[in-house]
Amino acid sequence: MSERLWEILISSLPNLLLYCVKVTIPLTACIYALSLVLAFLLALVQVLNIRVLNRAARIYVWLFRGTPLIVQMYIIFFGLPSVGITLDAFPSAVIAFSLNYAAYMSETIRASIQAVPEGQTEAGYMIGLNYFQIMTRIVLPQAAKIAFPTLFGSLIGLTKDSSLAASITVVEMFKAAQQIAAKTFEPMALYCEVALIYLLLNTVLTSLQRYLEKRLSWRQPAVD
Amino acid sequence: MLEVKNLRCSYGTNQVLKDINFRVDKGEVIAIVGSSGSGKTTLLRSISFLHKADGGTIRFFDFEKEITRLKSAEIRQLRMRLGYVFQNFNLFRNMTVRQNVMEGLVTARHMDKEEARKITDEVLKKVDMLGRAEYYPDQLSGGQQQRAAIARSIAFRPDVLLLDEPTSSLDPELTREVLNILTRLAAEGITMVVVTHEMEFARNVADRVIFMEGGVVVEDAPAAEFFNRPRQEAAKRFLRTVTGDFG
Repeated sequence: MSERLWEILISSLPNLLLYCVKVTIPLTACIYALSLVLAFLLALVQVLNIRVLNRAARIYVWLFRGTPLIVQMYIIFFGLPSVGITLDAFPSAVIAFSLNYAAYMSETIRASIQAVPEGQTEAGYMIGLNYFQIMTRIVLPQAAKIAFPTLFGSLIGLTKDSSLAASITVVEMFKAAQQIAAKTFEPMALYCEVALIYLLLNTVLTSLQRYLEKRLSWRQPAVD
Repeated sequence: MLEVKNLRCSYGTNQVLKDINFRVDKGEVIAIVGSSGSGKTTLLRSISFLHKADGGTIRFFDFEKEITRLKSAEIRQLRMRLGYVFQNFNLFRNMTVRQNVMEGLVTARHMDKEEARKITDEVLKKVDMLGRAEYYPDQLSGGQQQRAAIARSIAFRPDVLLLDEPTSSLDPELTREVLNILTRLAAEGITMVVVTHEMEFARNVADRVIFMEGGVVVEDAPAAEFFNRPRQEAAKRFLRTVTGDFG
């Protein structure tokens, strides 16, 4: 590899890392937190079978899983101004991503809650617990364990997908790489470099997942 | 103490319980026997409101009400006084044995933690599970899980302990250890209604046997009488089948 290429790679690295820390990570964190809350609410109204809300949640999931994320992003960022709602690129991305991810994640949470055997609830009733106590002390902790790997998978997916925000002018890590590539005429090197940073980020996340899964495990080493 | 009258129950259009009447007195051990599909489990589930009955009256001490008219608060009050042991244990999988037992005392009955712990240790000792108090259900054998489940349901001193085929998912050796515990509890005077296929247990431990077939109580008799001189033809047939005496 030529010296010039090395120089470009090395000099661009701090810049890319800066955008990673300043934009990509906060963007991902905001989206994940919001979509988790929304997904939980969507799952809950379905599990509790609250009449009108249940139906609304089904329609919501149908709509946001059935249309492309990038189209949803374009509608919010480029489309909404025509009806008088103008949002900056960053909040537009957060909203579009959160709405979209919540639809998927609510299905994970709903299925996990429903995967907890009915017998657990029945046993809860028979020792005198009420529905709220059964949910918070028995069903949700067990559902959390079931949902955890899939929900964490969503976080890993989101970290990479956040690069799509570049398409509505959010300057995050990938957009920064694009700009440097355009200036230096070295797309191959720059895109590989940014790919490596994403890979590194997700390697850290994967280890974190493994660690947390162990912590979440109820099965403890035998005591005797 | 506990009495149901004209209890009716169905799954869809299939009527599983047809006009059941029975009562349990304090200190009694009742074995409910009968072939599969006779409605034994449904009977237990409907008097603990896990399955919605179509109609009938329930009397518990001096509380009496039409079963379909019970409010959810009343159901919860009644359940507070019923212990229930499931065929497949249903221990809370996210809790240790000790936490399983304490849950009904601390969360449901707001008992002081120290006191609940003392009671928990006592009942775990009673079912020989104190040494496994910190284990999670997944780390235990079926017999151990069932013994822990029994501890959980007697910890709050229910007026009646309902047991739904407590040994059906256990192999013979583990069945024995659970039956030994139940025999011990019966000797202590705990009121029990046991749905069971263990005829030896029914014969030796139960005071009364209720024989069900096709959703009705066919025979309700003292245990010795039921096993030695069954009155109904269906009961005789059933006993011949389960005791393997085809002569």
